[in-house]
Amino acid sequence: MHNRLIVLVLILAACVVLLTLFPLLAAKAASTVSNREAMEAMVLEEVSGVMSFVSGLGSVLAAWCAADALQSELRSGTVLAVMARPVRRWEFLLGKYLGVMLFMFCYVCLMFCMSYLFVDIAGMRIHAAPWVLVVYPMVRYAIYAGLALCLATLVHPVVTMGTMLALWILTETVGPGAVAWNAKLKWLKTALYYFLPSTNLFGEGRFLSLRQAALKQATWSDHAITLAYGLDCALILVLLAMWSFHYRSLRQD
Amino acid sequence: MPTPAIEFREVTKVYRQRLRGLEVPALTHTSFEVLPGEICAFLGPNGAGKTTSINLLLGFFYADFGDIRVMGYQPGDVRAKRQIGFLPENFAFYKYLTAVRLLRFHGGLANRQKGETARLIPELLAQVKLTGYERLKIGKYSRGMVQRLGFAQALLADPQLLVLDEPTSGLDPTGRKDVRELLATLRAQGKTVFLSSHLLSEVEQICDRVIIISRGRVIKSGRMQELLGVTDRVELLATGTTPELEQRVQELGGTTARNEDGVLITVSVAYKREIAESLWAANLDVLHILPVRSSLEELYLQTVGTESGVV
Repeated sequence: MHNRLIVLVLILAACVVLLTLFPLLAAKAASTVSNREAMEAMVLEEVSGVMSFVSGLGSVLAAWCAADALQSELRSGTVLAVMARPVRRWEFLLGKYLGVMLFMFCYVCLMFCMSYLFVDIAGMRIHAAPWVLVVYPMVRYAIYAGLALCLATLVHPVVTMGTMLALWILTETVGPGAVAWNAKLKWLKTALYYFLPSTNLFGEGRFLSLRQAALKQATWSDHAITLAYGLDCALILVLLAMWSFHYRSLRQD
Repeated sequence: MPTPAIEFREVTKVYRQRLRGLEVPALTHTSFEVLPGEICAFLGPNGAGKTTSINLLLGFFYADFGDIRVMGYQPGDVRAKRQIGFLPENFAFYKYLTAVRLLRFHGGLANRQKGETARLIPELLAQVKLTGYERLKIGKYSRGMVQRLGFAQALLADPQLLVLDEPTSGLDPTGRKDVRELLATLRAQGKTVFLSSHLLSEVEQICDRVIIISRGRVIKSGRMQELLGVTDRVELLATGTTPELEQRVQELGGTTARNEDGVLITVSVAYKREIAESLWAANLDVLHILPVRSSLEELYLQTVGTESGVV
């Protein structure tokens, strides 16, 4: 049932994304020498919006898949047959996590192709190294999946998904262009902006640009430090999940 | 003394619901052991702690106090799990898999070579009479077929210890007979079987040892022969009786009952010769003289009934 729900959400998201193709095609058809700049701005805004939506959906999807991967096994009782075999608890959990990351890699590849397709339809180019568009989302999703898996070993699945959704909504409210916060809470917004995975450090917006002039250059050391930080967070969360799962009852009753 | 296959020492397990402040003791200072090569029945009423004990010995959760050893290791230790085959009461499978794929999956989990598993799968499926259903998805299986498949996966890794929770659940009489024969074969191979069941007549036929648990405590434990044992009474089946003999039997505290085979006289073993000679003197035949044995059902009801205050 849950797997069907995930598939349904993905289909709906795909429909929404496909619908946005029409304005893009219309913009391309209506583009002339005189209105080129205005069209470029419109296309940039639209593509950014769509890719933000897809990227943000990926964060929720990573969390949902990770939480469901564990909870569905516990709920159905299939975990008992597996854990009666010479399989360590951390091996079981790691297998689930890697399976989710493999699924998210396919999603990221799809997102990657979609980025180039949309921009190409609009008659423009992405000025960013392709690997950035794959690695940074993967690290972000690794953190979300690790956090969801950790929560899934501790609390009820509804609490897990509620927490992840709240986190995602919070991320949307602290990103650039989001609603301004109360002046007294500006410090909190700044702190969250730097702390949450989807905003400052792991957002593709740091590297993605449709205009060469706006390309933000980053050195290899910048990349290495940022990615190491992200992978470190993900690793800590997965280790916490393994530790928590070791002591958890495998029976739902 | 060989190392017990299963050893529980003063094991206590309490289920807690902290938010509601509820505490339910499942096991209280429970101690028992199962020796290698035995078929041991674990009996008890619903809620006695049988499934809890099985879950503890497999490492699905942990005891609050006490010590548990399985094949000499802590529960959940992979070295113990390598030697265990487990069939839970309501076996949950991945419904989208076929029997062959599921057994291959479990073969991989048990670290068996692919070729070895591939060779073993047809044999196992034939043993549990699922030949012909290899390609059907498990979601389409009947309850009995799922149970048989559960047996096949439990036997896959050639385990030294089989833990079976209600192994005949969902099986028809033919299936139950097949299970009895299978368990007898396993005993002949020197395997240890630890099973819980509500079908006492079947348990009586196959098990060497019985552990009866109630309200989280072991209330009776021992070898089947010792527990059911010979009582101090005998039954004589005769072709008839006389009024004087019936009176004498009554005076001795015995009983007479007529059945289609003759007259069944039950009396203390001390008086069997006297009754037999009285029958012969009256020109009546004695068809058999047998010791009176109690059945497992009688023992169970007596034990559990006494424990719960009902005689």
